[in-house]
Amino acid sequence: MVKYVLKRIALMFFVFFVILTMCFVLVKLLPQTDPVQFGKDMNLIKMRREALGYNKPILVQYGIFLKRSLLGNDWGISEALYRGQDVWKVFVSKMPATLMVNLYSLIFSVPLGLILGIYSALKKNKWQDYLISTLIMLFISVPSYVYALLVQYLLCFKLKLFPLQMNSGTDYFTWSMFLSVVPAVLSLGFGSIASLARYTRAELSEVLTSDFMLLARTKGLTRAQATVRHALRNSMVPVFPMILGEFIGILSGSLIIEKLFGVPGIGQLYVNSITALDYNFFMLLSAFYTLIGLAAGIVVDISYGFIDPRIRMGER
Amino acid sequence: MKKRVFALLLTAAMTISLAACGDGSKDPSGSGSGAANPGSASDGGATYTLNLAQSEFPTNWNPHDEETAYDADLMYYLQEPFYNLDFNDTMDGYKMVPMAAAAEPVDVTADYVGKYGIAEGDTAKAWKIQLRDDLKWQDGTPITAEDYVTSAKLLLNPVAHHYRADSLYQGNLVIYNAKNYAYSGQYAQTPMISENFGDEEYVDHDNFVVNDEGYFTTEDGKDVLLKIDAMGNWDPDNGMDVYHDSYPDWFQVDGVDVYTDLFVPNADADGYVKVNEEIYQALLNVVGNAQAGSFEAYEASAGDYAYHEWEEICYYGQSYPEMDFSEVGIFSLSDTELVLALENPLEGFYLLYSLTDSWLVKEDLYLQCESVTDGVYNNTYGTSAETSFSFGPYKLVSFQADKQILLERNEYYHGIQDGQYQTTNIQIDCVEEAATRLEMFLNGQLDSYGLAAEDMETYQTSDYTYFTPGDSVWFMALNPGMDALKAQQEAAGENINKTILTVKEFRMALSFALDRQAFALATMPTQSPGFALFSDQIISNPETGETYRSTDEAKQVLVNFWGLADEIGDGKMYATVDDAIDSITGYNLEMAKEYFNKAYDIAIEQGLMDEDDVIQIKIGMPNSSSSTYNNGYEFMVNNYTEAVKGTSLEGKLTFTKDDTLGNGFASALQANQVDMLFYVGWTGSALDPYGLMEAYTTSSYQYDPNWDTSKTDMTVNLDGTDYTASVLDWTYCIGGQAITITAADGTKKEFSAGTSDGVDEQRFLILAGLENAVLEQYDMIPIEIDASASMRGMQVKYYSEEYVFGPGRNGYQSVQYLTYNYSDQEWADYVTSQGGTLNYN
Repeated sequence: MVKYVLKRIALMFFVFFVILTMCFVLVKLLPQTDPVQFGKDMNLIKMRREALGYNKPILVQYGIFLKRSLLGNDWGISEALYRGQDVWKVFVSKMPATLMVNLYSLIFSVPLGLILGIYSALKKNKWQDYLISTLIMLFISVPSYVYALLVQYLLCFKLKLFPLQMNSGTDYFTWSMFLSVVPAVLSLGFGSIASLARYTRAELSEVLTSDFMLLARTKGLTRAQATVRHALRNSMVPVFPMILGEFIGILSGSLIIEKLFGVPGIGQLYVNSITALDYNFFMLLSAFYTLIGLAAGIVVDISYGFIDPRIRMGER
Repeated sequence: MKKRVFALLLTAAMTISLAACGDGSKDPSGSGSGAANPGSASDGGATYTLNLAQSEFPTNWNPHDEETAYDADLMYYLQEPFYNLDFNDTMDGYKMVPMAAAAEPVDVTADYVGKYGIAEGDTAKAWKIQLRDDLKWQDGTPITAEDYVTSAKLLLNPVAHHYRADSLYQGNLVIYNAKNYAYSGQYAQTPMISENFGDEEYVDHDNFVVNDEGYFTTEDGKDVLLKIDAMGNWDPDNGMDVYHDSYPDWFQVDGVDVYTDLFVPNADADGYVKVNEEIYQALLNVVGNAQAGSFEAYEASAGDYAYHEWEEICYYGQSYPEMDFSEVGIFSLSDTELVLALENPLEGFYLLYSLTDSWLVKEDLYLQCESVTDGVYNNTYGTSAETSFSFGPYKLVSFQADKQILLERNEYYHGIQDGQYQTTNIQIDCVEEAATRLEMFLNGQLDSYGLAAEDMETYQTSDYTYFTPGDSVWFMALNPGMDALKAQQEAAGENINKTILTVKEFRMALSFALDRQAFALATMPTQSPGFALFSDQIISNPETGETYRSTDEAKQVLVNFWGLADEIGDGKMYATVDDAIDSITGYNLEMAKEYFNKAYDIAIEQGLMDEDDVIQIKIGMPNSSSSTYNNGYEFMVNNYTEAVKGTSLEGKLTFTKDDTLGNGFASALQANQVDMLFYVGWTGSALDPYGLMEAYTTSSYQYDPNWDTSKTDMTVNLDGTDYTASVLDWTYCIGGQAITITAADGTKKEFSAGTSDGVDEQRFLILAGLENAVLEQYDMIPIEIDASASMRGMQVKYYSEEYVFGPGRNGYQSVQYLTYNYSDQEWADYVTSQGGTLNYN
């Protein structure tokens, strides 16, 4: 197992390096044209670019980037999105808002999704199941921004239960702040609830009809005992990695939801960094998300073994 | 002035500037009810918070580095210019008033003869500005004239390359030696031949100095350079490799590929090649090959020019010597006396207008924010509340990126004591969605809301809705360049035609077939149809405030261009010119169909098009998410598909789009990537239509790269005699340069139509002639005039009912004269009493 993990980690860094190289080269290949400005001394911009090393060969620039960022932990200064500011500091300052909203959403959606899925499976083909399944299909089919708009209009504007926008400031653990993020949390959570409930229902329904469940019942276990001790655990094999994935997903913001509810998070940073050709920001975000994604893959793979001891990886 | 491409989001955001106006009688509280006197800040502790929202946020409001309108907006709250435009006494126009200055500047040129490039007899080249003696920073520290000098030094820091450094040497206000100081110790390149292509700029081979290493230099020591990744004045945006790939024959000299074997190997790390005799000979041949197949053939046809044209693709390299800041023309005489020594004379309105900005920074904080890493300068001044320091009416108390800005009145600001600025706090939220902003406005959380297209039906007749005219005209820009269109036509495939765009009648048909009113409704309902190069807001005489469009010459341009000149007079269709102008809609489907047929016949006759060809026009757009551009594209497609019905082009006119061009999409036409752009234009020169003309007639700025204005003649009647010169020359002429003009009998004379800050009749005539010349090209077709609509919240009361260019409706930063119908507490109570949602219908 240790050997397997080490091998995966080594491979992860290799892939990380390859992806980072590709990102750097590709973004540098994009043409950077300055909108013509009437009466502007464009030499100032050229001289700035020169000082930044943008006129050097791409590989030389890449060498400088690697040395500064990966070895020196200096990800540089934003040249377009947040001009003059340290990209790492900006990134870190915007992360808590995203984390908070996504974490609340997870806390709200995981238990609810599991409960609905389990209940639906236990009531399979009864009206409760039909009702839940219909709602699930509805929430899966409709894009999240649609019910985000509805939540905002109905709950915030019409009923005035919550503010239209998330509170400003960094007091993330106040009641007022919590109330202000509820609309965003609800909007983010509906999709997750539906998705989790659907998976749980499908897996649990299948497990509940397995032979070993019949055996468990014939051995004298009550339905509740058999369900909790045997069925649930087995059905969690595909569901748990999904929950884990959602946990990892809290690090990435939702572009639409953050925009709609005024969450000053990182949801739009990646797209904006490409549009604005903010090289340093783009590379920081590429590195971060690549690393998170690769690490998540390893964690999810390893997690299978913990959930189901029969699954062992890396062993021959 | 910046090339501006329009996006709805930007417009919506810009409307935060409280463009609307109203009087108290419209409010439920009655006129002035509950309003405190401006300046009586406390009113027993009452606060007056101005709540605004905008779709984007500033990121850097350092006066030395700010770039965007959002940056500037925040910056102006925190600073005070020397002078500013205020309401005139009759409230129907503007006047220039001192702000940080105590009085108008005094001409002290005579005191500095022999210094700062000032010669005996010079005037208007050195000005003393008397500063107010009560200027203070937000902590009460006094501001002195020396602070301005120090800040100028920081702005021009040659290591920093501050984005706004050119504010002291570019444009009308050119501080003596400011550029030399900003460039000192550096090596900078400029094209050998300017956009003027002046005869005097070309250098004979014998006049170059060959240095010890064999390279050409000028007599004053400038290097002569070729650049691998640009083509000088021929094409500054594309590298030589592009031409080498497209036209390899140009670079074949005696069987040698001089690009790969001579130019590239001799290029330095930045792509510059120092010109020596061998490279000079190679360049002669490259240009000769390009123009006539060989240098000999080109020499036979072009004469001496064949020996000079290579200079148009080359650069001068110049080392700027180290310089002490004391040599720069800005210094203080006392704590309140600042002197500016200028390289060029400047006086009157334009002098004051050049001083409606400020470069002042708090030195100690500024220096704390500086850093230099691996030779790269950076400064975080003006990027957070902690790194900002105010000497303007408001101070920044909190800033959360992309979320919220909180400003508080700066009690040390002298204007507060003058009974202005009743607003005690300003809260600006970043709210990207217009629908959310509207909901906040209706909930009483905002004091202004910029109406979006979808709101117009509901609110355009509201008592709280006000329209604000803009100074920009938006255009449909077309690319009628034969070579580029041919290349794209071939790339697009068989039976695809684009070259019909070179037929003027086709472009005219596109103009007449566009229902501008309907187009505005489909894209941006606040806009109004545009029919000319300059809008009604462009001021041609800033001293009097006279607008260009109100003059007889400008009116004549309109009626001539739209073919109404012969329809005016007694017994004719229109009694007066104004009646004729009022009738212009820009839409004439019948005439459009006629021109479509004519264009088709011409295209067939000239072999530009086959009968089974389908015209394909590629439209460039910044992105796929802008409803303005998406709706506009849909409108164009449907409109023109219908318009060609019943003509020879029925079923033959198609459109495609490239919606991946991003913010720089306006450059796509110049780069021949697309055939058409719409909602493009220029802004920021409302007081200088003479300078603005350069945007339409000089190659550096023209959207259509193919119109050679140096080869298009224009005749202007001056004092009863017709004189001819190129469009380009006339453009420089109204910019203050002397040009050679030719009378009908062939006599030539040197002529200059006033200086850049002067206004005279001849200058005016030329401007009108140039406007007509540009319009007649039909490559920049005016379609809309910029305007915005916004709603005023019930809490606030505006100072002026009408929008006035300069002070707007509320003076400086739209808060100077703004007053309130309710204090914050009263407002909260009022909103609650209305059930939490207000009715603005």
